[in-house]
Amino acid sequence: MMMSETTPNPDEQLRTRIIQALMLDERTAALDLRVGALNGIAHLAGTVASLDVRDAAQELAECVRGVRGVVNRIEAPGAPSPSRNIRLLFPPVQEDNDMENK
Amino acid sequence: MNNFDQIKNALQRIRHLNDLPDEIQQRIAASATLRHFDTGQIIYVEGEPAESIYILEAGWVKATRMTREGREQAMMFLRPVEMFGDIAVFTGTTYPGTVVALEAVDVWIIPAKTILDLIPRYPTFAAAVIRHLGERVLHYISLVEDLSLRSVEARLANTLLRNAELHEGQLIVPRHEWTTFDEMAVRLGTVRDVLGRALKTLEAEGLLRVQKQAIILLDPKGLEERGSL
Repeated sequence: MMMSETTPNPDEQLRTRIIQALMLDERTAALDLRVGALNGIAHLAGTVASLDVRDAAQELAECVRGVRGVVNRIEAPGAPSPSRNIRLLFPPVQEDNDMENK
Repeated sequence: MNNFDQIKNALQRIRHLNDLPDEIQQRIAASATLRHFDTGQIIYVEGEPAESIYILEAGWVKATRMTREGREQAMMFLRPVEMFGDIAVFTGTTYPGTVVALEAVDVWIIPAKTILDLIPRYPTFAAAVIRHLGERVLHYISLVEDLSLRSVEARLANTLLRNAELHEGQLIVPRHEWTTFDEMAVRLGTVRDVLGRALKTLEAEGLLRVQKQAIILLDPKGLEERGSL
């Protein structure tokens, strides 16, 4: 079933909440980060000045309700590159909108 | 070479888009910007609104998707000149995968609106886009078939044959800097240890030889047979 244009899907809502969380924190408010959310997993990218800020962005995203895990691909001095590891906060669930995102 | 000539040159090297009328090329060129990405830099992330279509001018990129279990699965490896990011734009969804520069990469970025405006106005362009998307569908059917029906050894044999080059009378798969075992495992939908075992098995059967700079395909016919299992 196609998702209605007027009904934001759960990942869109999740992405909005993550962006809000990043904007409300003084450590990340001024950053130009790329944020995506798919199947409850948050994806972060962009460039920041320090590992602390990179970690802060990840922590903020992890605290958002509904985020199952964060893939932190933010570039920072000393950061792993490319980072593809993810720590799932919750196990995957079967009932979601995966097919609609393909 | 100016912007128009440069992107026109790029468009002419993309299958199905190589004979677009000048007017369409002009419109695309007028809105396109060229951007450079260094190795490992992210071009876009999955789940991000699809606001642009990309044309790969130089360098290799890979598109991956994180599974629900948190494992990275390769969707596609692209080399110049190729268009990407289009599926999400045409379906009005977010990008289904993350695209990373595997080496120094130059990419044309074209606003989605430019392309979406051109489609209803130029049936020849729409037809070219349909053919391009059709090829993508076939690619994903093949990927699904590979992942669901074939063993890692069969997938490995097929991937090696697809990427082989004739070099001084030998069929080889060059080991680019980014063709690490981890990357190959992502590409094959497995993990490094399983890939290592598969390579050893094929090597023990005399089908290939792993060297530091290249994998030499000693028995292409035998690999083809393994690929069909």
